[in-house]
Amino acid sequence: MRFTHVLLLAAAVTGLVAGCGRQSGSSSSATPGKAPGPVIALVPKTLNNPFFLDMQRGAEEAAKAAGVTLVVQAAERETDVERQMQIIENLIQRKVAALIIAPSGSREIVPVVLKANQAGIPVLIVDTRLDAAAMQASDGKTVTFIGSDNYEGGKIAGKFAVERLGGQGRVAVLEGIAGHETGDARVRGFREALKGAPGITLVASQPANWERDQGYTVFQNILQANPTVTALFAANDLMALGAVEAIAAAGKTGKVTVIGFDAQDEARAAVKAGKMAATIAQNPALMGRTAVEKALAHLKGETVPAEIGVAIELVK
Amino acid sequence: MMPPRFLVTHARQAGTVAVFVVLCLILSLLTPHFLTTSNLLNVAQQTVINAVIAVGLTYVILSAGIDLSVGSVLALAGVVLALALQAGWPVPLAIGACVLVGAACGTVNGLLVAFGRLPPFIATLGLMSVARGGALLVTDGRPVSGFDASFRWLATGEVLGIPVPVWCMLGVYAIAHFVLKRTKFGRYVVAIGGNEEASLLSGVPVAACKVGIYALGGGLAAAASVLLTARLNSAQPIAGLSYELDAIAATVIGGTSLMGGQGSVFGTLVGALIMGVLRNGLNLLGVSSYVQQVVIGAVIIAAVLLDSVFKGSKR
Repeated sequence: MRFTHVLLLAAAVTGLVAGCGRQSGSSSSATPGKAPGPVIALVPKTLNNPFFLDMQRGAEEAAKAAGVTLVVQAAERETDVERQMQIIENLIQRKVAALIIAPSGSREIVPVVLKANQAGIPVLIVDTRLDAAAMQASDGKTVTFIGSDNYEGGKIAGKFAVERLGGQGRVAVLEGIAGHETGDARVRGFREALKGAPGITLVASQPANWERDQGYTVFQNILQANPTVTALFAANDLMALGAVEAIAAAGKTGKVTVIGFDAQDEARAAVKAGKMAATIAQNPALMGRTAVEKALAHLKGETVPAEIGVAIELVK
Repeated sequence: MMPPRFLVTHARQAGTVAVFVVLCLILSLLTPHFLTTSNLLNVAQQTVINAVIAVGLTYVILSAGIDLSVGSVLALAGVVLALALQAGWPVPLAIGACVLVGAACGTVNGLLVAFGRLPPFIATLGLMSVARGGALLVTDGRPVSGFDASFRWLATGEVLGIPVPVWCMLGVYAIAHFVLKRTKFGRYVVAIGGNEEASLLSGVPVAACKVGIYALGGGLAAAASVLLTARLNSAQPIAGLSYELDAIAATVIGGTSLMGGQGSVFGTLVGALIMGVLRNGLNLLGVSSYVQQVVIGAVIIAAVLLDSVFKGSKR
């Protein structure tokens, strides 16, 4: 009796795994009939943020054009560095030809980059820089960094805020996860731009961990403490969109200048609708596309520059 | 009297092991990268953290309790360890402080459950938030990174070709198994989970045991934080989010009953390995990240179904 149940469960697991295996096979971008080319792996921070979905789309287009297989795997949560590390370790075991990583932690992911180095798998970093000191200390190697200058993006957002407010106002900031290079750089750039405007005071700067729901609640709390806030800079669009809802709930729509970052479709629409003042466009699809192209160029023995900038623009 | 019960527990364990073996078999047929020494060591290393937390939860769940705070306790203990190491404390002393912090958190849980008469779900839910807040407070929300090679050896070292964390895991399991099977405390844990009233009436120091059980759970979460911090070369105050759910899943897949009184440490190890192998295999196969979550959830449900069906047929 008992072992029939065990067998049933085993059969169920078999079915699931086998089914999934097949599915992934069919969804890969390799041209059917031809011998499969090199397998390139993309490990974004997560796949539930439109930014990384755009990156995935760009990478898939490039892989399809080149006739190579692209594997995309990500942790459920953007903050789960350990899970991202496991995924990369597993991809190393799978002996992919190249790894494209958007690090969930600038320092935490360094040990696994070293593992890839040891396995002879080239690593390309996108979007978030690795910690330079940690890389130097452990003698880690990457092919290139492909991303936008987040500091510059923050500065553009800051200049826009100063302009829009006419040099007078009370400004709040929603930060990303503390200690996270991307968010820190954006906020640093934004603050730098405010320095030129003595009439503007920064009344609050709080982390909302990149998330929409936290953007809502944290900005709601900031509004409680500082009802006269005139502008908000959120280090990504999800937090900005959450804050937009909090502003609407407080009946202050139009009274707070909201500036986001990433220029996701929804944020662009909010800018058009006048709910947000501006957002910074980063072009993640171009990052994904460039990463795959550069990975292939590196595999062919071509030289790839150590840093490839992806242009930033203000969407207002 | 003894043989039937012996047979029953071992049959359940055999079931878990059979699932594990079948899973490995399927994966080795589907991908040539699964059954290699380096990948198996890789999976073992990836299982360590969940497995070490889960062994503490096995004790808690065996006593018919639950501990939702382990993920947050791991984060708090981890940042204490990291700060101590950066302040120049010797490695053993820093690890001692870390485990002490974990055990202290567990003790608070135990006191709330045993003497405050709070349901374990509520007590540990409260501490989950307190410990997380504490971790964020002491670090100002920032990760603490960069340690000496002597500490990192805990993650990078190898003894007899087996990575150090795997040895640590095996050591923890051997001790936990021995304590559960061969000591009075171990028998009390199972007795409390089986029937608390009866245990109390027959002279089991129920309250003291409960404090001990939760302290052990917290201490083991802290031990896991040592290995995690060494692995990432960084302690993050936001580490361990929802690790409690992974550990509960490993425990339950391993055949420990959420009602308490039934289960084994060995089963939990196999449960953690099943989860590790599943995640590893799905990565190797290149299965979509979305589908992976569905598969893992389905396996948890299947394992618990198996358990309840078995209990139904026994009755």
